[in-house]
This record gives sequence, C-alpha cells and structure tokens, in this order.
Amino acid sequence: MDMSFTPEETAFRDDIRAFLKAELDPALARKVRLHHDLTKAEMEGWHAKLQSRGWLAGNWPREFGGAGWTAIQRHIFEEESARAHAPRIVPFGIAMLGPVLQKFGSKEQQDYWLPRILNGDDWWCQGYSEPGAGSDLASLRCEAVRDGDHYVVNGQKTWTTLGQHANMIFCLVRTNATGKKQEGISFLLIDMETPGVTVRPIVLLDGTAEVNEVWFDNVRVPVANLVGEENQGWTYAKYLLTHERTNIAGVGFATAALDNLKRVAKAQRHRGQPLSDDPLFAAEMAGVEIELMAMSTTNLRMLSAAAQGQAPGIESSMLKIKGTQIRQRLDALTRRAYGGQAMALTLEGNEGPEGADEALAASATWLNNRKLSIYGGSNEVQRSIISGALAKG
Amino acid sequence: MDFQLSDDHRMLQDSLRGILARHSGEALMPALQEAGVPQALLTEAEGGFDGSGAAVALIFEALGRAGASLPLIGTMIGAAALAQAGQPADDDATIAFADAEPGTRYDRGVAISVDGDRLTGRKTMVAGAEGAAAIVVTTADALWLVAPDATGLTVRPYPLMDDQRGADLIFDATPATRLGALADFDAVLARGVLAHAAYALGTLSAAVDLTLDYLRTRKQFGQPLIAFQALAHRAADLSVEVEQARSAVTNFAGHLDADAPLRDRHLQACKVTLGRVARLVAEESVQLHGGIGMTEEYALGGMIRRLLAADTAMGDADFHLERFARGEPAFA
Repeated sequence: MDMSFTPEETAFRDDIRAFLKAELDPALARKVRLHHDLTKAEMEGWHAKLQSRGWLAGNWPREFGGAGWTAIQRHIFEEESARAHAPRIVPFGIAMLGPVLQKFGSKEQQDYWLPRILNGDDWWCQGYSEPGAGSDLASLRCEAVRDGDHYVVNGQKTWTTLGQHANMIFCLVRTNATGKKQEGISFLLIDMETPGVTVRPIVLLDGTAEVNEVWFDNVRVPVANLVGEENQGWTYAKYLLTHERTNIAGVGFATAALDNLKRVAKAQRHRGQPLSDDPLFAAEMAGVEIELMAMSTTNLRMLSAAAQGQAPGIESSMLKIKGTQIRQRLDALTRRAYGGQAMALTLEGNEGPEGADEALAASATWLNNRKLSIYGGSNEVQRSIISGALAKG
Repeated sequence: MDFQLSDDHRMLQDSLRGILARHSGEALMPALQEAGVPQALLTEAEGGFDGSGAAVALIFEALGRAGASLPLIGTMIGAAALAQAGQPADDDATIAFADAEPGTRYDRGVAISVDGDRLTGRKTMVAGAEGAAAIVVTTADALWLVAPDATGLTVRPYPLMDDQRGADLIFDATPATRLGALADFDAVLARGVLAHAAYALGTLSAAVDLTLDYLRTRKQFGQPLIAFQALAHRAADLSVEVEQARSAVTNFAGHLDADAPLRDRHLQACKVTLGRVARLVAEESVQLHGGIGMTEEYALGGMIRRLLAADTAMGDADFHLERFARGEPAFA
C-alpha cells in the first residue's frame, strides 16, 4: 500500500497544471467559477485545446484515439481541471456514447463516429428520459418501427441536456411492445437535422435553460444507425451507466467547491471574526471535508479495482450517492455562508456590491445542483440497485 | 498510488486469519504471541519487525472482525513508548495504557497531578490493568511508567463495554518514571488511534454483514425483510458508509509515517469517520434487526458494545472533529 503519487503521476499532474496555466483563459475560468452559462463556442474551443494534446478522451483506449489514462491519472486530471475552473468536458459523446460504441458498435460505426466525437464534428445529446419514464426508465414508449432500410421514430424525450447545441442524439427507443419491457428496447443514433425532430427548452428553477424536450414525428432513421442488436438496448444502457461513469463521484468538483467554501468562509465576517473561526460553522465545514477525504479514496479504490479487472457492480451507485450528498452539503454551506446576501435572483446587469456576483453563484449552484441527486438514476434508484445486490448476498 | 497489500502483509493477514479461526478466548493471546503478531505492531527500532500503518490496520481490522477482545492496543502503545524511552519491555509482557480521567471528556492532567517523580490522582477505564507487567500513564504534558506493585497504587477493576477487564487506578504519591514529554510520543499515540479505528472497521463490517444476513433470511408479512424498501434503503446507506470507513482507515494507515501535520489531519479524519460510522452502524443494525438485536444471546450485542468502546477510546468523533476544524495537532 502506498498513498503517495509515483514520480510518473507527479510529473503527469505537473503537465496538467502547466497546460491549464497556459491554455485556460482566466475570463473563461471566471465564468465557470461563477456558474455562468458557457456558449457552444466556448465549450467546443476547450474540447479542441484538450484534443490538441490528445487529452479529450482520457477514458478511451489509445486504439480509439483516447489517452488511455489509468484511474489515478483520470482522477488527477479531473481534480486539477475542476480546481482551475476549467470547463467540464461535455460528457455525452466522450463519456457516454464513445464507450458504448467501442464495446457494442460495429467497426463501421466506430470508424465513422468516434473520430467525429474527438474532432468536434458532432455534438451529441442523450435521449433517455421521457415524461412517463423517469426513474422507471425501462417503461419508455418512444417507438421505432422498421420500414425497409429505416426505422420510423415517434415519441418524446425530455431532460435532454444541451440538446439545443446538438446535431446528434443517441436514443433508447421501443422496438417491441410485447413481453418484458427491458427486452424491447433498442439503442439508436438519430440525426437531429432529420425532418420531424423538434427541440424546445425547459426553463429550470435557477432561470437557466440547459435542458430540453425533444419530439420525434415520423422521423426516418437509417437502420445502419442501430447500435448492436435490436431489442438489446437496455444492456447497452446499463453498461453506459455502470462501466464508464468514471467521474460519477465528482471528486474534482467537490474539491473545487470546498476550496471556494473555505475562501468565502474566511472572507465573510461573523460576530466580528471570520466565519471560518465560528465553532458551529467550522465544525460543519470540517465534517464535510472529512467525508470528502474518505470519498476521494473510496473513488480511487473502486476505480483501481475496476482497472484490475474486477467486475464493476454496485460501486458506481455507491459513489453516486456519496458524491452527490457531499456536493449538495458543500453547496448548502456556501450559500449559508453568504447569509442575508444570498437573496438576489439576478442583478439585471446592475453592478452589485463587492462579491455580489459570487453570492449569486452560490444561490444558483444550490438551485442547479438539486439535479445531482435526481439525474443519472435518482439516489433512491441507486439505493434500490445496491440493496438489490445485497439481497442476493 | 497503490492500494494492494504487499506480499509480506498478505502473508501476515493469511496467518492471522488462520489463528483467529482456530483460537478464541484465553487461548488466543498466546497463539498470537507465538506467531509474533505483537512484534508486527512494532518497528525494528522498537524490537519488532514492522509497525507500519498497513500492518497495524490489517491486524486490528482482523481482530475486530473476529470479535477478539485483547489488551493488545495498550501493550502496543506501552511497548513502543518504553522502547523509545530506552527502557524496552519483555517481548510478551502485557502493558496497560492509562489515559482517560474522570470528570472530563478528554482533557489530561485534570484528575492527576505530578509532584517531582510521584503521581497523585486517578485514571479511569484502563484496559488490561489487572495482570499488566507495566503501566504507562499520561499526565497533562508527559508520559510515565508505573510499576503495577508500586506503593500508593490502588487498582479497582470492572468489566468494560468491549468485554475487556478495565480498572480505575488511584495514585497516592505513587513513584513513577518519567519517559518524556507527551508531544514526543505523538507517533506512538497515533498508532494507538489507528488500532482503535481499524478495530472499529472490522467490528462494524461484521455487524453490517450480520445485519444483511438477517435481512435476507428473516421473513415478515410473507417476505424477507430486505424486500421492504424502508429497510433496504437503510441497508444500502450502511454499505456506503462501510466503504467510507474503510477509506478513512486506508488514508490514515497510508499516512501514519507522514509529517506530523499531514498525519494528524488523516488521524483526525479517520477517528471522526470511524466514530460516526460506528455509532450509525450500532444504532441502525439494532433497529434493522428488531427485538432479536436487543438480546445478549445474539452476536450483535457484543459488536455494538465494542463499537461504542472504539469510538470512545483516545478521543471520540466530536473531540477529533473539533481539533480538525481548529487545525490543531492530534496530541499536544
């Protein structure tokens, strides 16, 4: 057992730091830190910078153009990137679709779609949830009916994050309505430019519109865009959820949030002293920091075990629960640290007092990050996955 | 970074598991001594052959999992402290570590005072005091050696929560040998905290396993208990917390020999986490069992008591959380 970084890992971290220092525009980092919406060009620009170093797809094997990083290297990259307030890598192509195509896609699909993800030719979004299929995802009804060399797709998807920027969507669709509901689902790649596709934004409680509804009205999709076998899509969907969500714990994001909380608590005055010296508040901060120290190692232990070939099981569910609990606790403490300053919804372009934009960010982050314990399978769904495995012993 | 046990430590773990499967009760300590387990807790300079965080953690986790109640932590602290002070103990001597005092949570030197080389006052909850070959005693800022037959020493024994025998020690101008300033023994004391935390990890892992086994087999309303979501989700949360506890022990074990400030942050984080999870497991495992979990006959009861004792020993979760929050060292 050795808890220190090897010289190679330290050199890798230094490389990442140097890259972030040289390539990350401070104005962009500020937008990320203050939770402002990034433009499509800003996100694509950051992807391109990473790809120029071969670092965009840290989780992909080298044979597919990825960096082939170890679990420890990915951990280092995610932590350094988050602490520097770099834009996060949009996950839909890199973290989600890529691994599914690598595992289940045809050679032709791999050769065509994977380079386009790396080059930024395509912006992917995810068509999983439906108005009637949230936590019970397998009850989805958006249907695809075979018609010669095409599927004809009809139905609706929702919570489609950044779908407004996307030209492609990977969808779970129903190809068989009889029998067990999990066994009639297929995994389909759909061009958003096809006639019959409509995208409408959903405004969220923090005022942003990062998620969308997507409608399909007799949308014709080439059969060549079916991934794997018809009616086997549920297997691929589960693979996506359990195998490749390496950053599900969000250790880097939590570490950046803790840095920020400490900074805010030191600057805020309470009874004439820094808030960070208040015993009640300091104890709450210490409690969550200690949880994060343990979770960071839980994450690395589980990633290391997976890298050594142990079949991933309930680990990603455990990491999802604990990781989101910690991030939401950090968000809550940061908002509370602002006290009475955390009232404004926006400043409508007016200049507020010193630090007003940061207080706004604390409220916006709290509101937006309610999603953490809901998306990707709510934390209650994760508990059912864990207890389902525990029931078998 | 590497989470694998070394080959030596894997062999140690295997041999320990074999001993724990074959021996229990009074036969266990001699079997451990014969296998050299107490020496694995000490460094070469202390007369042992390991003393690393990984060795201490794996030994006490295994003892906790097996439910073994032995005066081994006091013996480890005492032997290491005596060796550091240049007065090494005999190999198989049992040593008691007298730290807690009445009338205070974790302050030292409140109930005991020093006059020259004599101690007067009281220590409490001293595990293994009966039959110890030596007693190592903390005062406000120093560590002392007291002989069990020293004049002016009265031993008032009683059972402890963790099935060990404990005692109050009453000192009346009792002669003692000063081993050094308490702060100079911080690395030895840190090893003791790691032992308590790892012991709690083994104990709480066993308690959660026992609870899950019960949830799978006990039927009510025609269903196994784990089929009820209200119970199943609580069991899931427990399994997440067990992983957090394991990580906290891993972190501290991996930093036992780090520079004091870094080591102490991991020490405090570890003891806070283990104390918190130990309390949670103690409460939840009884509740998830229901009535059977309240009985002395069932194995859970002893585990619960050992968990409470491990949280309490050498600073509980609240004590170490406060010091972590204040950025204070673990011992000073």
